[in-house]
Amino acid sequence: MAMVELQQVRRVYRRDTQEITVLDGIDLSVPEGEFVALMGPSGSGKTTLLNLIAGIDRPTSGSVRVAGTDVAQLSESALARWRSRSIGFIFQFYNLIPVLTAVENVELPLLLTRLSRKDRRERAVTALKVVKLADRASHYPRQLSGGQEQRVAIARAIVADPKVLVADEPTGDLDARSAEEILALMETLNREFHKTIVMVTHDPRASQRAHTQKHLDKGVLREGA
Amino acid sequence: MKFLPYILKHLRRSWVRTASTVLAMSVCIFLFCTLRTFVEAVTWNLQSAKSSLLVSRHAVSLVFNLPLAYKERIAALPGVRGVAATNWFGGTRRPNDFKDFFPNFAVQVEDYLPMHPEFILPEDQRRAFLEDRRGCIVGRRTAERFGWKIGDTFQLESFIPPYRIGKPFEFVVRGIFDTDLARFPGTDTTAMFFQWKYLYEATGQRIGVGTYVTEIADPSQATAISRAIDGLFDNSDAQTKTETEAAFRAGFVSLAGNLALLLNGIALAVMFTILLVTANTMSMATRERRTEIAVLKTLGFSSGRVMGLILAESAFLGACGGAVGILLGSVMIRALPSLPIIGDAVRGFPNLGLSAMIAALGFGAALLLGLLAGFVPSVLAYRSRITDMLRQV
Repeated sequence: MAMVELQQVRRVYRRDTQEITVLDGIDLSVPEGEFVALMGPSGSGKTTLLNLIAGIDRPTSGSVRVAGTDVAQLSESALARWRSRSIGFIFQFYNLIPVLTAVENVELPLLLTRLSRKDRRERAVTALKVVKLADRASHYPRQLSGGQEQRVAIARAIVADPKVLVADEPTGDLDARSAEEILALMETLNREFHKTIVMVTHDPRASQRAHTQKHLDKGVLREGA
Repeated sequence: MKFLPYILKHLRRSWVRTASTVLAMSVCIFLFCTLRTFVEAVTWNLQSAKSSLLVSRHAVSLVFNLPLAYKERIAALPGVRGVAATNWFGGTRRPNDFKDFFPNFAVQVEDYLPMHPEFILPEDQRRAFLEDRRGCIVGRRTAERFGWKIGDTFQLESFIPPYRIGKPFEFVVRGIFDTDLARFPGTDTTAMFFQWKYLYEATGQRIGVGTYVTEIADPSQATAISRAIDGLFDNSDAQTKTETEAAFRAGFVSLAGNLALLLNGIALAVMFTILLVTANTMSMATRERRTEIAVLKTLGFSSGRVMGLILAESAFLGACGGAVGILLGSVMIRALPSLPIIGDAVRGFPNLGLSAMIAALGFGAALLLGLLAGFVPSVLAYRSRITDMLRQV
């Protein structure tokens, strides 16, 4: 069964009177437990495609089904609820909240659940243990290295136990060693926790970690090895 | 409540900005509370004015007295129950020293007291007062202020020339009156009343009557009887101006101009300024956090919840400012009577204190200002698209 299923997806932006087609008739099927790398040059539509899968953008036409839900049909509030349950998003620049500690950042998505404060904290600490940062729970983002910040961001992405993880160039802002650690962690999440991962990357070494690579070029998807 | 720590942490992020906004808000609420308290104090005893009482004074000015003979003629009018002569004595404990000032009146006690059931006085004290020409009754607050007990004596000297007799008037405390504010709101228990005859005789029987207080049987006839009283003296040297007790007291308040309008105008202007200051703070705080707002929405926070968080933060700023402002106002209002110059002006107010109603109004205004200040930034955050906000990073 496909965890992510896109059919004839088009995304067109309007700039004044001009129409810019960013994605043009995309068909994509990602089976459950798959680790897919989306590659392509700048402006090819990788991030737009990722945003559509994550439910933070809507297609102009076509259907986007993720984890059995037709994302394009949901209202704004239903889409927000769906994101909180089904999607874990990993940003290139980590995007941790600077005034919150590592554990508070990880706990953030759980504020939307009915869990007690104690349960929320326990789950956040568990997520930090998965990314091997439990000892940095009380540190603020400014007290962490880039690699550690990204691991906290990954813990935040997995804390609500979503089915799908989407990562937008997760190693793009890291040195080689930290990038290796992050990729190894993502492999672990895919292999041991059976998370379906869709990752946008420019980095060929990062894409090698994925099971399959897809190439986008001028809004059109091509299979790649 | 689970979002409160998140809100507090954001406010602490730029604590100088937060503190200065809270301080600005608190100054605004402090001014609001102080000015409203002042207006309330000035207009407080309008509440106790009765529609069944009319006050007649000299048509030209209160400075001029009315003839004694008017009393019988007013009393003879249909619908009139009783008439009492009263004179504002203007006595102070030390000549022209208004630090210890309290309102004091010479009244025709036998007629005046039955018209004023709000002055609650034990029967034995009432009798003792009626029987002693030098006797007086004082309100509980004034008695407590000076530590006076029944039987104590004190002296007052008036600053009004016809009542200055070369020596102070001596009084004996024969009664201390209380009131029931639930039944008689606005009753002044700082006042002191003494026998009109004492003033009349001590001044060599040369004075007239400052005002006649007339009790009427039917308040709906107040206008007609007022006209009838003034009509009696239309062709005399001392024409009268008669009005209800409420209008008479309101006339005193209006001597200072439209005080309520002036003070409310100042409070409103300050509030509007603070609204702009707080709105600016919230706009800056929200603009700085565009990425965070995008992240929150990505994590599954609905637009409504993000809007709620910004509004809650803004309202929290308002609530903090309101609480500090009320505290400052309360301290300042307590301290006002002991301040030089302004203390002399406000010490005579019978009810100077921050009321629960004004404090609640001040707090409500602070909350409202906070919410209004956060409204535009929160709506912008509500309407913003995640992809647009992330793209601008």
